[in-house]
Amino acid sequence: MSEHPETRNLLGPYVMGALEPQEEQEVEDHLQGCASCREETQDLRLAHERLADLAYTTEAPPPDLKNRIVAGIPRREARRRVPSWLAAVAAAFCVLAVLGAIFTPDLFGGGPLASATLSPTERAPKAGGEVSIQGVGENMEVRLEAWGLPACKHEHYYELWLVEGEERVSAGSFTVGPSGRIDLSMNAPNFAGSYPGVGITYEKDKNPDASDMKVLSGELHEL
Amino acid sequence: MERVADEVLVRRVASGDERALSGLYDRYAGLLYGTGIRYLGDRGTAEELVQDVFTSVWKNAAGFDPARASFATWVYRITRNRATDLIRRRKARVRTIDSEPLFEPGETDPSGELSRNFDVAAALSRLSPVHREVLTLAYFHGFSQREISERMGTPLGTVKSRTTAALRALRETMSFDENRWSTDE
Repeated sequence: MSEHPETRNLLGPYVMGALEPQEEQEVEDHLQGCASCREETQDLRLAHERLADLAYTTEAPPPDLKNRIVAGIPRREARRRVPSWLAAVAAAFCVLAVLGAIFTPDLFGGGPLASATLSPTERAPKAGGEVSIQGVGENMEVRLEAWGLPACKHEHYYELWLVEGEERVSAGSFTVGPSGRIDLSMNAPNFAGSYPGVGITYEKDKNPDASDMKVLSGELHEL
Repeated sequence: MERVADEVLVRRVASGDERALSGLYDRYAGLLYGTGIRYLGDRGTAEELVQDVFTSVWKNAAGFDPARASFATWVYRITRNRATDLIRRRKARVRTIDSEPLFEPGETDPSGELSRNFDVAAALSRLSPVHREVLTLAYFHGFSQREISERMGTPLGTVKSRTTAALRALRETMSFDENRWSTDE
């Protein structure tokens, strides 16, 4: 009879039918005299059967399906069109909010959270920029001012990302004309507020992932 | 992205993060597409199922409540309802295939097979990358233990013990309560 720990490590391939005949025989000999390994084998066999069922059903979709789906989803609207009377009421509240923020800075919780000075890469050596992030309810406002960016070609665009390790969360996309300058506000989900990095990439297609054509990057510093 | 929980990705989808939707797609699209082919009968309708389900996830992510159900349960329900719609629509046309569909209008995955598959897919996504890799190579790519050893550059004995550990982790992660889905409705 083979040793218990050694045989126990073979129980996975055993239930999969993936052992050599001699190993398989050794496991079966061991199982006859070991109740705990028999119980373990039953558990592993159940996991194996469920996984085999899943693998049987699963089939790789066409490679372009993901891009088609992402391209077809309705975009979240950054700003909704509202009736004029509602806009007037909202404007009044904005004035009050600004006054409140001036006199009681913490009342609305929307002060600047972080900022970054952007440094250029070799792709855009004359570029530069500043990013500031401000908390606004469910989302954060990401304010970008950049200069020296190469003008976008037809259907190409830039995308701004908040970065943590391998994670990238898009704050939005924009195009730049011959002036190479841009000054705009975008939105990002507030869970990305703790991300330490920011970067801008040049994008040539609708692939939702960031391209490797980074033009500006920086580290966010809390204010 | 790999180790981020489904429920976290849905929250990001609700905030408009397309990359999070892409992550959920990578985890579940194969199951959805295979289910569509198997039970709806053709690849075109299967693509439609995948597209409808992920569009619904995108639109309704803000309403997802992880306290009420896991993402796998939620997306399973969306899939079942959408598949039933597609079958109803197809039945309204001339019936062109002989195969028996899984879902008849009014029935809800009677065999429980589809719900179990979603449960297992969710459990697989929660494994460590090393465990998930060894199971994915064996079950979804059909590699032998020796081929996995060569591919991963890992001793054969380690691959075998890792496979055992991975199956054990999967077993512990997924729920085998066969009644869960029926009582959950």
